[in-house]
Order: sequence, then C-alpha cells, then structure tokens
Amino acid sequence: MNRHRHAPSARILIAAAGVALAAAGCSSSSSSTSTTTSTPPPSATSAPAVAAVSTSQCGTKPGVAATGTPIALGGIVTNQPGTSFTDIANMANAYFACVNANGGINGHPIKYYIETEQTNPTQIAADARQLVDTDHVVGIVGNTSIIECAVDTPYWAKLGYYVIGSGIASQCWGTPNNITVNMGPRYSSDGAVQYAIAQHVSKIVFDQSNVPGTGYIAAGPNALAKAAGVPITDLTENVPISDADSVAIKEVDDAGPNGAVVLNFTPPEALVILKAAQTLNIEDHVKLWGCSTPCNTDFLAQSLGPKWNDKLFVNAELAPPDSTNTPTMNLYKAILKQYGKAVSGGIGSFSQMGFTEAEIAVHALESITSGTYTVATVNAAFKAVTNYNTGMLCQLWTFGNYPMHIANNEDYTVTPDNGKMVQAQGCTLISSVDPQIAAYRADAGTAALAPVAP
Amino acid sequence: MPPWSDFEPFIVSGLALGGVYALSGVGLVVLYRATGVLYLAFGAVGAMGALVAWSLVQAGAPGWISWLVCIAVAALITLGYGLLFGPPLSKRDPLVKAVATLGLTLVLYGVMDLLWTTSGGEARSITLPTDNSGFTVASIQVNWTQVIGLAAGVVITAATGAFLRYTNLGTAMRAMANDREITATLGVPVRKVEAAAWLGCGVLAGVAGLLLADMVALDATTLTFLVVSSLAAVLIARLRSIALTFAAAIVIGLVHDLITPITSLTNYRDMTPFVLAAVALLVVSRRQVMSRSREEA
Amino acid sequence: MRIRAAVIVALLAFVLFGIPQLFSLYYVDTMTEVAVYSIVALGLGVLVGRVGLVSLGQVAVLAIGAWSAARLLFATTQPYPVVLIEAGLITMVAGVVIGLPALRLRGLYLALITLMLAGAITIVLDTINFPNGGRGFLGYNGSAITPPAIRLPSIAASDKAYFQYSVVVAIVMFLLVFAHIRTRPGRAWAAIRQSEPAALATGINVTLYKLWALALASFITGVAGGLLAGASHYLYSIDFPAQNSIILLGVVLMGGVYSMWGAVVAALLYQFLPALLQNWGVSADWLTILFGLGVLQVLTTAPAGLADQVPKDLARLGRLLRRRLARAPAPAGGDPP
Repeated sequence: MNRHRHAPSARILIAAAGVALAAAGCSSSSSSTSTTTSTPPPSATSAPAVAAVSTSQCGTKPGVAATGTPIALGGIVTNQPGTSFTDIANMANAYFACVNANGGINGHPIKYYIETEQTNPTQIAADARQLVDTDHVVGIVGNTSIIECAVDTPYWAKLGYYVIGSGIASQCWGTPNNITVNMGPRYSSDGAVQYAIAQHVSKIVFDQSNVPGTGYIAAGPNALAKAAGVPITDLTENVPISDADSVAIKEVDDAGPNGAVVLNFTPPEALVILKAAQTLNIEDHVKLWGCSTPCNTDFLAQSLGPKWNDKLFVNAELAPPDSTNTPTMNLYKAILKQYGKAVSGGIGSFSQMGFTEAEIAVHALESITSGTYTVATVNAAFKAVTNYNTGMLCQLWTFGNYPMHIANNEDYTVTPDNGKMVQAQGCTLISSVDPQIAAYRADAGTAALAPVAP
Repeated sequence: MPPWSDFEPFIVSGLALGGVYALSGVGLVVLYRATGVLYLAFGAVGAMGALVAWSLVQAGAPGWISWLVCIAVAALITLGYGLLFGPPLSKRDPLVKAVATLGLTLVLYGVMDLLWTTSGGEARSITLPTDNSGFTVASIQVNWTQVIGLAAGVVITAATGAFLRYTNLGTAMRAMANDREITATLGVPVRKVEAAAWLGCGVLAGVAGLLLADMVALDATTLTFLVVSSLAAVLIARLRSIALTFAAAIVIGLVHDLITPITSLTNYRDMTPFVLAAVALLVVSRRQVMSRSREEA
Repeated sequence: MRIRAAVIVALLAFVLFGIPQLFSLYYVDTMTEVAVYSIVALGLGVLVGRVGLVSLGQVAVLAIGAWSAARLLFATTQPYPVVLIEAGLITMVAGVVIGLPALRLRGLYLALITLMLAGAITIVLDTINFPNGGRGFLGYNGSAITPPAIRLPSIAASDKAYFQYSVVVAIVMFLLVFAHIRTRPGRAWAAIRQSEPAALATGINVTLYKLWALALASFITGVAGGLLAGASHYLYSIDFPAQNSIILLGVVLMGGVYSMWGAVVAALLYQFLPALLQNWGVSADWLTILFGLGVLQVLTTAPAGLADQVPKDLARLGRLLRRRLARAPAPAGGDPP
C-alpha cells in the first residue's frame, strides 16, 4: 500500500523535473533569436555612430551613481500568452537604470515598480492600488494595456495622477489625465487608411481584431473614407484566428482589384492573414495592403517574404530605427544594449515606446527645482512638459491642459524590404477629418502640430 | 445573399480547413482507440514540437532536421506522459483520464509562453517547401501543403483503421484500451504495447503539429485550443469511427467557411463546430442514454 | 461540532472585519475576487463532487450571469440584491434549458458537450459584447469613448465595503448549498454518486435531482457573475476566455470537490496565489504550470483534493510528532533529533 502511495508522487516530481530541465535547457532559444534580430546589421552610417555614443548621456552627472532617497514610479502592462507588453516597461526600466548610474534625478535614483495583468479588470484595479498604497509611487509611466485606461482612469483622476503611457483603449486619448506617446489603434488605422486613400484606391476593407472598442476604432477610418468618397467596409475577427484563409479571401473579394485591405491586429494575427493571402496567391488581387502600427516589427518583415515589398504599407508611430541616425536614436540603441537584457524584442517599436516614455518622465523630473518629489509636484511637472523633442516622434511632444490628448498625431509609413521595415513615406499629419483629431487640434492649437525642426 | 461565384473560393478554403480539423480530430480518435485516453494535449504537444522546430531553423538548422526534431519532441513528451501517468489512471473513468491530459496541456501551455515569448511583438511562422507551389482552383491557389494535410488525414484514417483492426499489435492496443487488467491476464506484454501506442500517438501529434503550425498559425494559444474545435468532429463520430471523424471534420470546415461571405452570420461562424456537435449529439442521444463510463461498460 | 462551528464563525468574523483593516487595498480587491470565485467553485464542486457532472464551461455560465447583471444594472434602478437574484435566476433558466437535453449524456460525453456549449456561448458574447450603458436589448455602444462604469450598491461603494458585501453574499450562497446538502437533495445526490442504477432502483428520480444540481449551480454562478460585474466596473468578453474554464476545473479538483472548504481553497488558488506571485515578480506562466501539475497530482493520488488531503496530512504529521515526542525520554545527548 505504501509503495503505491509514494510512487505516484514520484511521477509528479519526475514530471516537474522534466519541466524544469526544459525551461533551463531551452531558455537560451528565445534569447538567441532576439540577438539575431536586435543587433542591427552593420551599415555604413550607423556603426561608427553607435560606437561613439556613451550611455552616460542619459543622466546629468556621467558615471556618478545616484544614492539619495528613491523617487518611486509605477507602470501597469498586460502580460498574457499572445499579448505581452513587458518590453515597454522593461525598456523604461533600462532607461531609469542608466539615469540612476549617471547622477539620477539630482542625486535621487528612480525606483520603478512594474505590475503585470492578464486583462482582468479587478486585477488591474488592484494593481493600481498596489502602486499607490503600498509602493507609494508619485508618478505613473509606461502603462500599456488592453483595458487599463478604461478601468483605472477615474481612480487616477481622483488622486491627481497624470499618466504617460502607450495606450490602446479609447480612454487613453479621450480623458484629461491620460496621455500617450503612440497613436493607438484608431489614429494609427487612420494613418494607414489615409495612405491607401492617397494611392487612389477605389474601396477600402478595414478589418480589425475583436477587442473592446471596435466601434470607436472604426469611426476614424470611416470618417476619412467617407470624406474622400471611398466606400469602406468594416469587419471584425475573433482572435486567435484559426481560419486565416477564409478571412483573407473575404477581405480580398470585398476590396476588389483596385481596393485596399487595411488591418488592425497584433503582429501574430496580422501575420497569419498576410501569410494566408500569400499562400492563396491572392495578395496581388488588391491594389495594396495596409496595417496599423503593431505590424511595424522586423519580425513581421522577416516572416513575410519579398512579395510584400512595396505591397504592405504599415503606419509607423515612431521613427524607423534603422534609417534614423540621430543622437537620441543611437542613445536608445546603446541603452538597450547595455541595460536592456530584459527586453526580449530588441530594437523595435515596443522598446522605442518604453524609451520615449521614460525619457519624457526623466525630462519632467529634472525640471523640478523644489527638490521635493510628491504626487503633486511630479504630476505637475508631467503636465508642464511642452514642446519637448523626444527624438523619436515626428512632432514635439506636449502634455497640455486639455480635456483630451493626442500628442502624437503625425506619422511615418513603412514597408517591408527583404526582412526589414523601411520608410515609404515621411512624417504626415493625420487628417483632421477624424472628428477626435479635429477636436484635439482645436483645443491644443499650434502645440498639436509642432513639427520637429528638420 | 451573395452570388454563387462568391462561394466558390470558400469551398476550396473550407476543404482545407476541414483538412485541418480532420488532422486533429482523426489523431484524437486514433489515440482514444489505441490507448483509451482522449489526449486533449494533442494540440499543445504539436505546438511545442513546432516551436522547437522554429527555434532550430532560427539557429540555422536545415528544415528537414527541424521537422524530425519536432516529431521527436512530440513523441517523447507523449511517451513520457503515457508511461508516467498511463498505469495509475488506467482503472479510472475515461473522463478522469481526459481531464488528466488537460493537466498536461496546462503545463505545456505555461512552458511555451515562458520560452517563446511575445513580449516584443514577436510573430513567428513555419514555412514548408510545399507552401508556395500549388495549383489554382476558383481563382485561388491551393498549395501543396494543404493537399498534404488533407492527404495525411486520409492516409492516417485508412492506415490506422486497418492497423487497429487487422494487426496483432493493433488488436492488443484496442484490447488494452478497453480493459488493461484483463488484457494483461491474457498474456499480452502490456507495458510494451502501451509504450508502442503512446509513441505512435506522439509521432502522430508531431506530424499534425508541424502541418497545423504551417497551415494555421505558429502560436501556442491557437494550436493548443484548436483541439476544442476538432473535438466537435470527434464527438459527432462518438469517439468510435475514425472515418466518420474525418467526414465530420470536412463537413464542419466546409460549413464554417461557406458561412463567411454571409454578412449577417459571418461573425458567428466560429460557432459552427460547437453547434454542429451539440445538435448531432443531442439528436443521436434522443433514444438512448450515451455513456463512456466504467460502470455501464 | 460546536467547536467547529465556533471556529468557522471566528474565521468569518476575521474575514469580514479583519481583512479590510489589516490588508492593503491590493489584497482587499484580490480577496473580493476570491469571494466571487469561491461561489463559482462551489457550484462546480456541487456538479462534479455531488452529482458527477464535469462541466468544462463554467466560465461561460459566469459570463451569462455577469452579462445579465450588467444589463439590469444599466437598464433599471433596482437595488443590488434584487439584481443579483435576477441574474441568478436568468442564469439558472439558461443553465437548465441548455443542460436538460444534455443530461441524457454521461461521463466524458457530457463533459465534452459542456465544452462545446461553452464555446458557442463564448462566441456569442464575443460578438454581442457586454453592456456598457448603450441602448437596445444588448445595451452595447461600440463607439463610446468613455462608457460609464457599472454601478455599485449604494451601501457598498468603496473597495473595502464591496469586499464585505461580496463576502456576505458568498456566505448566503454557501448556506444555500449547505441547506441543500443536508436535506433530501443532498442525500439523493450522494445516492446518485454512489451508483446511478442503484439510485434509480430505490425510486430516486435521477433526472430531477441532476437537474436540481444543475439549477443550483447555475443560480449561484449567476449571482457570482453579478458580484463580478460590480467588482470589475467594466466588463469585456476578453475577461472570459474559454481556457479559464479548464483552469477553473483544475483548481476545483485541487481544492477538493467533496467539501465546501474545497471551494474556498480553489478560489484562493485561482485568484489569491496569482496576486501573491505577481508581487514577488514571478510570471503567471509558472502558475499555469503549477496548476497543470496539480491536476495530475490530484487525479493520480488524492482524488478528494487538497481540502481533504491537507487535514489528513496535518493529522498524519500530528500523529508522527506525538509518537516522536512520546518516544524521546529526557534528552541525554543520545539520539539526534
């Protein structure tokens, strides 16, 4: 009897050991794939620049480690199978680590608390309370979540936090105390649709994943298409997609030979649709394909073949890393290399967003002259950021005292080129035909347009 | 209602989707007939193998080696599970055995998300050499991979059906699946037969996993839970007939895709497998109580 | 028996009044979820443990309850308890209507059909979405930029108060189930679980009692859905993925399906453990792996689950200690401890 009692437990131990071995032995596989994509190929222009940039530029006192009382900041990101935004928070953390190693904020190091969530509203609310009540954060930076803006905005508003994040839900742009560095699904889809319209397509099929707010997202492209007199069909797909063939056929049939299919999906889902179109040999049955920003990854460019060069046009919310050779871009790459071990995706829009948000936060914190870092002073500083050149965006970035914020409303368009995303069109303003954009520009005036000086 | 010509390409894609469900569904029924276990981890195991194959290709290994490794990984995991957890659960209800495989599914699902993360916007895919060549039907291209997928379903259906019925080893497997103890008293080398059954099933899961990763998506969530839709075909065949599973899978795929162009129904088309299975089962069970429990066996 | 009752009352008093004072809001919110899911786990435990009906789709049932409650909360101004009961009744009717034809199936077939039905319900909810203050029967406004939050009970509008409210509702649901178990339905269920043909032979209307179990489980899960609606403030179909039903079954098996404490253990595993690990920086994937191993462990060794196993293990430990202490004479530096 005892023998039987012990043997089954041994089975569990064996199974658990197997799992541990697999995890330990194979853990190099994911990092090896990221290194093949994260180190940029040595190109004539960027190689010498990278070597010359020292990460110590991120702080005010190069080489001096910050040792004062920490300034606590927090961020909430989604992390579940298929949708993980931890890279954004981890890159922000890398930036803060660099700053801490080079003088900190007037000698104070930044302590960054990252909370992850699995799209559970109560859990997200609990995470916010953890940051405020237990971790005593004075500012919220780096939030990237499918529904966090929706769930927590009233809480942040009540406590006086002005959140800088990379949003997805509509509240990330439509409320006074949320602001982002990205454009989000609606305005990025606007950009993609706008590009398609500019190529004189005769019809647009806009297909998106069935996440919260599809109506809000589709309203922008619909307004643009209507104003241009181009018929538009709105479709949604439940994700994950298991029948990509029928989705691709449906889209292509609807768009027609002179039409455009514009997608708004996460990279893996967009990939299955595009790949299906390619294996069905129907990718040329429409004039062009468009995609909102999530498609802007080199992973996607590599997985798609050369057939998509100048066929797929992706709206890019941030400056293309490979073709941009500015000090800030090189600093980003250097910080990623030195402090960004936890950033699994390497160079790409996710880590760029994390960098930019951290950059803005640090800029704001450095502007505080009183030496006290409380919820009131830090968030006042966040709000006061005006015409800041992040080096990653088409425009100067302003928070502003407005009821809504679409600080990033001018974007690039990129296209795959043999495994990399390259620029197809430079900075282009999102059209004011989208009523939300019009409303924001009315509020913000010139601050809304503020292009970066060439 | 769209015109008939609109439906034509969906017939082709529907057959391909049916082939996908068939590959999974037939695999499940074969495993059930051979081991007595409804191996719900079929999709997860295949996904794991496919992801390992992807990693190998990224590291520079030639394609065919990665495929072999994929099959080997799936076979090893399945064999391991069968040897560890087959015997202690052999006397239990088929339901308990099936729920146990859900435990394996969860373990694999967690491991896959840990090792192959999506935190940087990673989008992975597997390409087989047969992907980009094929022939054109109804203005869309049918690629050879889909043909292979469908053919694999047919071959597996025929071959395993014959194997289980006509060979000694197959008969021994079926006997063991029915009642392990009695089979042991008949002098059948129980452990060897069991190992052979699980190993064979693991190979099947690996092959299916590779094909499905190519035809559907190389995504742990999609592939792991594809079994749920394939279960519909398995249920319609009442876990007995491999051929019926195949046929039901094809029908489900066809109906699913044919609904796509109908605008009022298109958002509900993913319900097709579930609705068909529920209706079929409830119609069949009108007259009799249906069970798969030890008590009533 | 009296001591046991006193311990339970003391424990409940601590939960109701101690937790809000002693724990941070993060954990108070987490424990609200624990209260909600303990009801769901209880329902599933009744089905699996008492009647042998394995449901692989309880999260879909929960979603129906949450949907109904949200719709009523937006469309009417009825008091919260009324809405909760209505949500429970709607879910009960749905569960019975959908479940009745399925009761002709047994064992594995029945479990798989619940999976199929849950899959269908999930797709429907994905398409019609959850009410967010919009108009019409579905109450969903897809273009709203800042949709309103689901209202809370007037007496429990703060996090701490809502936690206490949820615990009270959970206690009521547990008492409801307890009453069932102690009276005729409970005895009938025990007979059915023992042997269905034998129960039939003794004149028990098996179908009726199975249906009763289904109705009870659906009702309390619907009420839990209503509580969840309030706790979440905003509901989305992505909150109810089909794979959660599998994890839910896993933790219910681990917690134990034969005792009501098992439901509490299951809810703690399902909601409290992840919150704890998140604080320690451990990825949620490790928990998925743990639950998978836990399911395997439970099914191969301890079919009655942790709630049954832990007291047994503790009792064994206690006996072991007592034997050791009885054996050891005055410590003379002899045997090593």
